[in-house]
Amino acid sequence: MSDQSISRPVPRPTAWSKPYWDAAREGRLVIQHCKQCSAKIMNPKQYCPVCLSDDLGWSESSGRGTVYSYSIQKRSAASPFVDKVPYVVAVVRLEEGVQMLSNIVGDGALSVQCGDAVRVAFEPVAGSDIALPVFEKVE
Amino acid sequence: MKTTAAIVGTGEVPTGNFPDRTESEAAVTACRQAILDAGMSPRDIDAVMPIGVVVGSRHFNTDLIFSRLCEELGLLRSAKLNAQVMAGGASGSATLKVASALVTSGAVRNVLVVHSDKFGSTTMQQGIDLFATLGISEEWEAPYGHNANTAVALITQRYMHETGTTEEELASVAVALRQWGVLNPHAMFRTPITVEDVMRGDHVCTPLRPKTMSLWADGASAYIVARADDAPHITSTPVYVRGAASLVTHYSVSQEKNLAFLAFPEVAKQAYAQSGLSPKDIDVAELYDAYSVMPLLAMDALGLCEGERAGKFIAAGHTLPGGKMPMTTTGGAISQGHTAAGVGVSLMVEAARQLMGKAGERQVKDAVNAAESGSGGTWMDSHITILSREAR
Repeated sequence: MSDQSISRPVPRPTAWSKPYWDAAREGRLVIQHCKQCSAKIMNPKQYCPVCLSDDLGWSESSGRGTVYSYSIQKRSAASPFVDKVPYVVAVVRLEEGVQMLSNIVGDGALSVQCGDAVRVAFEPVAGSDIALPVFEKVE
Repeated sequence: MKTTAAIVGTGEVPTGNFPDRTESEAAVTACRQAILDAGMSPRDIDAVMPIGVVVGSRHFNTDLIFSRLCEELGLLRSAKLNAQVMAGGASGSATLKVASALVTSGAVRNVLVVHSDKFGSTTMQQGIDLFATLGISEEWEAPYGHNANTAVALITQRYMHETGTTEEELASVAVALRQWGVLNPHAMFRTPITVEDVMRGDHVCTPLRPKTMSLWADGASAYIVARADDAPHITSTPVYVRGAASLVTHYSVSQEKNLAFLAFPEVAKQAYAQSGLSPKDIDVAELYDAYSVMPLLAMDALGLCEGERAGKFIAAGHTLPGGKMPMTTTGGAISQGHTAAGVGVSLMVEAARQLMGKAGERQVKDAVNAAESGSGGTWMDSHITILSREAR
C-alpha cells in the first residue's frame, strides 16, 4: 500500500539554484558555469567544483541532447509516484557536454533507446510554482 | 607493495528475518565468534570499528558510537579507539582500508570490525520509500520519481547497451548466486531457481526483474584486522590484504561519466598492481551484487572471464560451485539477503573464510587468492580488494 502521508517531492530552490528554477518557469533550460575557470556545472552548485570560485554565472542551453541511459518504472514506485507508472527516468547528455537526470515524456517515450535524440520541455508540478525540465523524443 | 595487514578471524550470524533477535545480540555474537576464530582473548582487541546502521534503530546506532560493544565484549580499558566508518554497501571494503592503515601505522594493534542491522521487518513499500530518499538528491533527482532501483537500472541499461549483455544473462547471475545460496546455511533463499523463473517476473523498472534484485534481511558479521607480521603468530590461517583500491565517482548517478563500468576498470588495475597478482592467480571472486549487474562490472574489470563478457561467462555456468571461477559464494545479497551496509562485510568475511579453508560445503578447493568488490550509496564508489593466503 502506498503511503499517502508522503507528498510528491518538489525542488526547493536554494540561493544558488534559484536562477535555474526561475529560468525553467519561463521555459528556458540554463546551465551554470564558472566565470573564473569556465567549467560547466551540472547539477548547479554553491561553488565551482573545479576551482571553488563563488563567481558563477548562467548560460542558456540549446535544450537538445541524447539519452545516455534510461529505465521505465513499471510498478513498485515510491508512494508519491504510484499512480504515475509507467514513467521513464533517464540520464540525458546535453549538447553542451553536461548530464542531467530527467523524465522522457510524450510520444514514443515508452520505446526510448540509448542514444535517442531528445529536446527539453517543461512540466509544471501541481500545487507549486516549479516547472520541471523534462525531455521529448525528436523524430 | 609489501603486505602490511591481515584478516585473522571472522564471525557471522544467519541472515534472514529474525524479528526477536536484536541488533545488539547479533553484533555481540558475531564479534565473539570472530575473537574466538582468531584464537584471541578480548584484551587483544584495542580498536572497535562498528559500521553504521541504515535501517535498524537509531538507538542502537548511538550505542555503537558510544562503546556498547566494548562494554559487552570486555574491552574496557583495552580498547583505545571506538569509532565508526560508514560507506553504505562499500563499508566492508572501506573499513578494511581504514583498519589496515591503523594497524600499519602502529596507532593500534588489532581492529575488530562489525556490522549488524535489522532490515527484515521493513515492508516492501517502506523500503521503496526509504530508498527513494537515501542517496537520491532531493532537488535534482527525487522530483522525477527516481530511486535506488532506477539508479541501478540506469547502470544496467547502459552496461547492456555497451556490452551486448542480454536479460537472460543477467537472470543467469541470480541463478548462479542461488546455487551458492543453496549451500550456505546462513542464506535466506536456498531453493534453486532457473532463468525461466527469473524471466517470468515482470519488470519492476526496466531492465530489472524481481529475482535480479535483493530482499531485505537482518544480519551481522565481523572480522578482525591485525598487522601482517603479527598475523602468523595469532592464527595458523592468516589472510593477507594484498591490494585495496577504490575511487569515488559520483553522488547523483546522473553525474556518472562511465555509467556502464563506473571506476571498476581503474581500481581493478590498481589493486592488481598493489598485490603483484594477475587475473590468472585469482581462485575465487567475492563480488558485490545487491543487483545482478554489479558483479558483471567487477568481473569484466578484473579480467576473470577468459576474454569473454562476464554475462556470457556466468550464463555458461563457470561461476557455479565446481566451476572455473566461483563467484560470490555466499549467494550474495540476492540469495543470502540484503543487510544494508552489511552486504560488503559479509562478502569480506566469506573471502577470508574461503582462504582460511573454513567455508564448509562452499569451500573452493585450494583457494589461495581472492578478489572482492564493493560499492556504496547509489554506486558512488568502486572498490576492489585482493586477499591472499600468502604475504608479499
